[in-house]
Amino acid sequence: MTIDLKDILISARQESHRMQHFYIGVEHLFIALLEIPGGIARSILQEHGLTPEYVIDGVRQKIGKGSKRRIWSGTPSTPRANVILAIANEIAMDEGRTDINERDLLTAIFEEGENMPVRVLTRLGLDISSIVHEAQYRSVERVVSQPYVDIIYASEFDDSSLTDEHKVILRRMFYGYDGIRIENYLTGGYTKALVLVVTPLNDDGREDAAVVVKIDDTDEILDEAQRYEQHVKGTLPPLTARLEDKPVAPEICALAGVKYTIVTKPDKKPQDLGSAIAELGVDKLGYWLRQQLYTQFGKTWWQQRRTFRFQVWTEYDWILPPVLTMQYVPEGETSSGGQTLRVPVNRSKLKQIESGDVVTLENFTVQRVYPDQNAIQLAIGRGNEATRRAYKILLTGIDLDKDFHYRGEVIDHIVGRVRKTRHDSLMNAAMLLDLPFDLNAETIVVNGLKQRTLPNPILAYEELLHLHLSGSTSKIHGDLHLGNILVGPGDSPFLIDFAHSRDGHTIFDWATLETSLLSDWIMKQAGNDWEAAYQVLDYVAALNAQTTFPRNNPELTLAFTPLIAIRSIVQESLAVEGAWEEYYISLALSALRGIVWETKSLGGRRLLFLVAALAIQEAQKYIAEPGEMDTPMPDERDATEYQ
Amino acid sequence: MSHELSITVMSGVDDGSLLKCSAENGDGHRTEDGLWVFNIGRHDSNDICLNNDTFISRMHARIFWNDAHWWVEDCESTNGTFIETPDEDRPVKEAVPVAAGQLFRIGRTWLRIEPDGSEE
Repeated sequence: MTIDLKDILISARQESHRMQHFYIGVEHLFIALLEIPGGIARSILQEHGLTPEYVIDGVRQKIGKGSKRRIWSGTPSTPRANVILAIANEIAMDEGRTDINERDLLTAIFEEGENMPVRVLTRLGLDISSIVHEAQYRSVERVVSQPYVDIIYASEFDDSSLTDEHKVILRRMFYGYDGIRIENYLTGGYTKALVLVVTPLNDDGREDAAVVVKIDDTDEILDEAQRYEQHVKGTLPPLTARLEDKPVAPEICALAGVKYTIVTKPDKKPQDLGSAIAELGVDKLGYWLRQQLYTQFGKTWWQQRRTFRFQVWTEYDWILPPVLTMQYVPEGETSSGGQTLRVPVNRSKLKQIESGDVVTLENFTVQRVYPDQNAIQLAIGRGNEATRRAYKILLTGIDLDKDFHYRGEVIDHIVGRVRKTRHDSLMNAAMLLDLPFDLNAETIVVNGLKQRTLPNPILAYEELLHLHLSGSTSKIHGDLHLGNILVGPGDSPFLIDFAHSRDGHTIFDWATLETSLLSDWIMKQAGNDWEAAYQVLDYVAALNAQTTFPRNNPELTLAFTPLIAIRSIVQESLAVEGAWEEYYISLALSALRGIVWETKSLGGRRLLFLVAALAIQEAQKYIAEPGEMDTPMPDERDATEYQ
Repeated sequence: MSHELSITVMSGVDDGSLLKCSAENGDGHRTEDGLWVFNIGRHDSNDICLNNDTFISRMHARIFWNDAHWWVEDCESTNGTFIETPDEDRPVKEAVPVAAGQLFRIGRTWLRIEPDGSEE
């Protein structure tokens, strides 16, 4: 049984209306086909590791939303849609039918081959000539049975954070196996993704090599798979974690999963660096970071650097909390006046905005849609990977059924009332740290071995974002924390989670790793109180000054050896020899983002607050010279010798 | 030197239409530097007039043949001109070469230059 044309056209017309197109084009027909529950188009995409929703947004993005003003009456079909309907009609007639069905139409769209949906699918890596065949012969099964795969847990595994949805995805991912054993969690980082080590079990009791499974929001997982194909795959050292198969994105879930395979000895389960440090030995970790991780991946990643002068916000704004969190104000309810924030963003204008203000946003791009929260996330949407996520704005209270939005849409005009600025978010996060200093003062006083007066990072970070920095760009991992680095056989390094891999500021990875080592590992041992954070800060200060560490804590001295290795990698990677501001700025902003993560320990967040303050102070030493960093390029010296 | 241009509309209400213009029909004009230029926009006076997309400016872009390529140049339009590349849809600032078959977008409308008529 397949669906008839009449029903498809109704749904196509609805899509056309949502997009304010007011005509029937191939894109509407195709989206209507994808909306058929259990339909042929959906099942083909799923087989190829894509979800209908992901593809639908890809098509919408390519076509764009139309204008509210209609300039013709009725709902005409486009010439191309008519051609496709004619092809579909021929297919039906060939089979002795008079009515066009779902399969005929889908086949016709693929056969016509030049329409936008086909172009979008091709860009997503699908081979149209092979899926035409699938469209013709795939049987239509409306009932998708849940594959049964037994899930058991390793003895120490705490399954409390596994939901039913996670289990559905795991069963789908390991379809064909008798069961799986979940060994352990790997430490999460910036994302709220679930990362597990899983051993597949065969029905004869044999165990296959353990793999790493990552489960996250569908869009994130599919983006990661796309990114892996395009940017990462060709640059990996021969022996490392690879993304296996296509992602699994079941229709009934908002989540999806990917598998990373790792060649390990069967008796050795993959471990993230956080847990492997003890086995590896702290004293050896520095050597390992340099000789294994940096050397193995460096050749195609960090060592392939090109000079790059950039304004700091273009690489770093996106890692900070949203610049604004707003409540949507429907059209017609806005009084005239108010402020306007438009892309490209004028920072001084943004600075004047306070909570309670009514602000009109112009030309921001939708980054994410949260249907169950009636919210959308906006950002500037243009430029490179990092830049396009800059100036994140969260807009809540939108009736998404009435005001339709999709990922990638450029919204020319939308109004909201500010509930929270970035400053408010950072203040709130800092308040949770129970600070022994005045958060509104320009400086804070820290009493370690010696008394330090440091800039208040929450008031001082903003200035860093405006600076123009001479740095370098290379392929980077983008989220290089302890949980994403695995130690494999022969102590070889494996990286997982390429959701943020891109061409970006080379030393961002090292600032991220230093931040992670300090907060996730060193503070775990040092404790949560401020005294402990002060003590660690003394060591960071010694590291910055490249002097000997204080003598009061030999264990801490040992724990800092990996950081010395990181700094030596950074030293080599600086774009301008000895110009450490490039690193301190990166470190300050990486540390600042850490204070808002409630998954980090209290001690970890406290230390990061101090590290941000200290790094800003270090950076300020270098940028004392006015002028140099206010412009895209330093003034050039005219070397012509005039006669 | 090509004075004939065929363009297929690839999206919008006119998706699939073929638009032709040629010097013989009185389309286009010669610039000071000797190039034959076709104008494209929403206003009737354009050689290629696309008036079903309100995101297209009245005088939106120009297309000309030079150095064995078609070139597209934005005429300071409100919403810009974009060219499709394997990685992204890149905004056109100065004139850029467009291969036959390659897509470019003005306003919300994707267009494609057809190979016939572009060869000598």
